[in-house]
Amino acid sequence: MQDISLHLLDIIENSVRAHAANVWITVVVDILKNRLTITVKDDGVGMDEQTLRHAQDPFYTTKLERVKKVGLGIPLFKQNAEMCGGNFVMNSAKGRGTELTAVFQFDHVDRMPIGSLADTLVGSMIGHPETDFHIHLSRRFISGDEAEFEFSTAVIKEELGGIPITYPDVIAYCNEAINEGIKNTKMEEL
Amino acid sequence: MKTLEELRKIREKAQQDMKLRESNTRVKVVVGMGTSGIAMGARDVMKAILDEVSKRGLADVVVTQTGEKGLSSMEPVVDVIEEGKPVVTYGNMTPDKARRIVAEHIVNGRIVNDYVVAAQR
Repeated sequence: MQDISLHLLDIIENSVRAHAANVWITVVVDILKNRLTITVKDDGVGMDEQTLRHAQDPFYTTKLERVKKVGLGIPLFKQNAEMCGGNFVMNSAKGRGTELTAVFQFDHVDRMPIGSLADTLVGSMIGHPETDFHIHLSRRFISGDEAEFEFSTAVIKEELGGIPITYPDVIAYCNEAINEGIKNTKMEEL
Repeated sequence: MKTLEELRKIREKAQQDMKLRESNTRVKVVVGMGTSGIAMGARDVMKAILDEVSKRGLADVVVTQTGEKGLSSMEPVVDVIEEGKPVVTYGNMTPDKARRIVAEHIVNGRIVNDYVVAAQR
């Protein structure tokens, strides 16, 4: 993965595959704390303790096991966070969803760029019309000022009545709204 | 600023539009978005297809994302699914190739044989 937004997409796909009805995504850039924090929480099927451990272990999947249970997505994301002075925590319980937090040291030389959050978020919400996405972007500047952006597909779908979120004009609307939010929180080029 | 008022207008337009059509989904496009697909550029392919669908106003096309399908060496992979026709799987996709598939296959109904990696009923 070349950037953080691609890791985020990979994690979101996990949530959808876990039959989440809702996925909460937060991206917080706090310059004063020198931290970039990504959180993905879902209300999917969740994992038991053993699966949760295996999901973070790159050596778990063996070739003897024909059915691939977990892959490299999570271990790679974890490694990338830990490699640049951050940390990675994943909590889950059967039937209670999964919550994952990746923290990056913002100015670390090895930190990957955020990349295109818009492409990840818009692709996910249109590509998974049955799942609701609740997005929160927050940026805290050196001055102490804060910029925030909230977006929820639940609100959009309610407003649309029976019109699907996959309708062409709605795709364009979501794309513009998300790009606007990213611009307002100045997350385009991090 | 994007407002909810704008969405209401879209809803009214869409409601008129959908009354005129019998079936709401003519074509389903599925983009493989597993870890290896993403690493090979599936997100840009998804973006290109959504852009075409939105620009061309293809209201009867639904684009979705799915996980790994065991075609890792041909990622990014895109399925085009039409009622009563074999599922066509395109491989080694790029945004440009994907745009061509929208124009030739989805709009004009001609399968782009150069990019087909599998077809099944």
